[in-house]
Amino acid sequence: MKDQEKHAGAVSNLVDQLCRLPGVGRKSAERLAFHLLRVPESEAYALADAIRRIRSDVHYCKACFNLCEDELCSICQDPQRDQTRLCVVEQPRDLMSLEQSQAFSGVYHVLLGRIAPLDGIGPDQLTIEPLVDRVRTGNFVEVIMATNPTVEGDGTALYLSNQLAEYPVQLTRLARGITAGSVLEYANREMIADALTGRQAL
Amino acid sequence: MAAESSVAVVLKTIEFSETSLIVTLFTRDFGQVTAIAKGARRPKSSFEGSLDLLAVCRVVLIRKASDALDLLTEAKLNRRFRGADKSLTRLHGGYYLAEMLRLLTETHDPQPMLYDLTLDALSQIDGTGNAALALLGFDAIALRLLGHTPTTRTCADCGVATQLDRSVPFSPAAGGVVCGSCRISQPSVFIVRPKTLQCLERLLDNQTRLPLATASANKIDANYRDVRVLLNRYIEVILGKTPRMQSFLPARMEPSE
Ligand SMILES: [Zn+2]
Ligand SMILES: [Zn+2]
Repeated sequence: MKDQEKHAGAVSNLVDQLCRLPGVGRKSAERLAFHLLRVPESEAYALADAIRRIRSDVHYCKACFNLCEDELCSICQDPQRDQTRLCVVEQPRDLMSLEQSQAFSGVYHVLLGRIAPLDGIGPDQLTIEPLVDRVRTGNFVEVIMATNPTVEGDGTALYLSNQLAEYPVQLTRLARGITAGSVLEYANREMIADALTGRQAL
Repeated sequence: MAAESSVAVVLKTIEFSETSLIVTLFTRDFGQVTAIAKGARRPKSSFEGSLDLLAVCRVVLIRKASDALDLLTEAKLNRRFRGADKSLTRLHGGYYLAEMLRLLTETHDPQPMLYDLTLDALSQIDGTGNAALALLGFDAIALRLLGHTPTTRTCADCGVATQLDRSVPFSPAAGGVVCGSCRISQPSVFIVRPKTLQCLERLLDNQTRLPLATASANKIDANYRDVRVLLNRYIEVILGKTPRMQSFLPARMEPSE
C-alpha cells in the first residue's frame, strides 16, 4: 500500500500496467515509469503511439499469416520473391530470423503455433487448412518445413508432410547437426547422428 | 542445499521467461520433479538443448522447500526422442507415456522400476518395436508397480473366487472383476470375455521390463482391441479423468507401423 501512496494516481496506473508485461517486476516498472517522465514528451508519446499502432494497424497477412499492416505482407507483395518455394514456420519471429539470414528468396507460411496434443492444441487451431489450400492451388515446386527442431516441431512437420503428400511438390526440412565452425570431437552423439542422417552429396 | 544428480525423462516444458524454462521431469531417484532451468532458452546454456519433450538426460537438481520450485542447474542429453522421424503413431505413443507419467507419479516419490520400464517403452516406441504392444505392456506393468493391479480371479469387492471360463463382470471402481452378487452395487460394470482377462493376466505377469515375451505378444495380438478398451476404462477410474492422449492410442496392433 505504501508504495502506491507514494506515487500520484497516473504514475501508479502506468506502473501497474508495466508490471503486467512478461519479465517486468515492480522495481523495473517504477524505473521505466520515472524514465518516461524524464524523457522529452515526444519520445514518450512515440512509445504510446507505437503501442497503439501495433494493436490497431497490425494484423495477419491474408496469404501467409505473417504480421503486416496491409492486406498482404511486404514479402507476399514483392514480385522479386520466388513464388515456387514455400517455407513453413511456426511463428512470425521465426520468419524474421530466416529473413535476417538473407539465405531464402521464396515465400513463407506462418502456422501461428505447433501441434501440441498434450496441451490440447490440434491442427485445427493452426493455419494448416489455408496452407494446404495454398499448396493445392499454387505453383509451388518445394515446401520447406522450417518448424523448430523439437519433438513437437518435428511432429508438426510430420503431420504436414502427410497432409501434403498427395500434391506434386518436393517436401524438405531444414538440415540439423554439427554447428559450422565447431569440431566433431566436441559434438555430442545426437548432433553427429543428425548430421549423418542429413548428409548431402558433394 | 546440496546438488543431487539423477537420470530423468522430460515430461513437460513451459517457457517461463525470455530465457528460462519450467521443466517437469520423471527422475529415477526422486520421482516427478518440477524445476526451473534458468537460462535454458539461451543459445549457449549449460542445458545444450537437452530439455525437449521425452529426452532422456542426466540432470543436476537443487531441491527447495516444499512450496518452492526445485532448481535445475545442469542437464546433459543422453538420448533424444525421435518418434516424429518415424510415424505419428510412434510420436503419439511417446506423448501418451509423458502424460501417463505426469498423471500417475507423485512429486519426490521415487519409482526406479517404473523409470526403467519407461526407458524400455521409449526404446520400443522410438525404435522398431511394436508400439501398440509396448504401450499396453507399459500401462499394465505401471499399474502393478504402483499398486493398482486389478483382480482377475477374485471378486474385487467381497473376495470370493470368480469363474475363469466364462465372461465376468468387471468394475473399474471396485478394482477388478466382481461376482454376481456384488455387481448390482457397482456403478459402472461391463462384461469381459475370458480371453481378454487371460491377456490382462499375461500383461500383469511378474515381468517388469519390456518388450513382452514373444509368447505373450502372440496371445494378445488377436485380443488387442478388447484389452486396450479394458485398460483404458480402468485407467480412467484410477486417474479420475481420461488422459488426453488416450484417443490417439493405436486402434490396432500393426507390427509394421
Ligand atoms: Zn504474406
Ligand atoms: Zn463379490
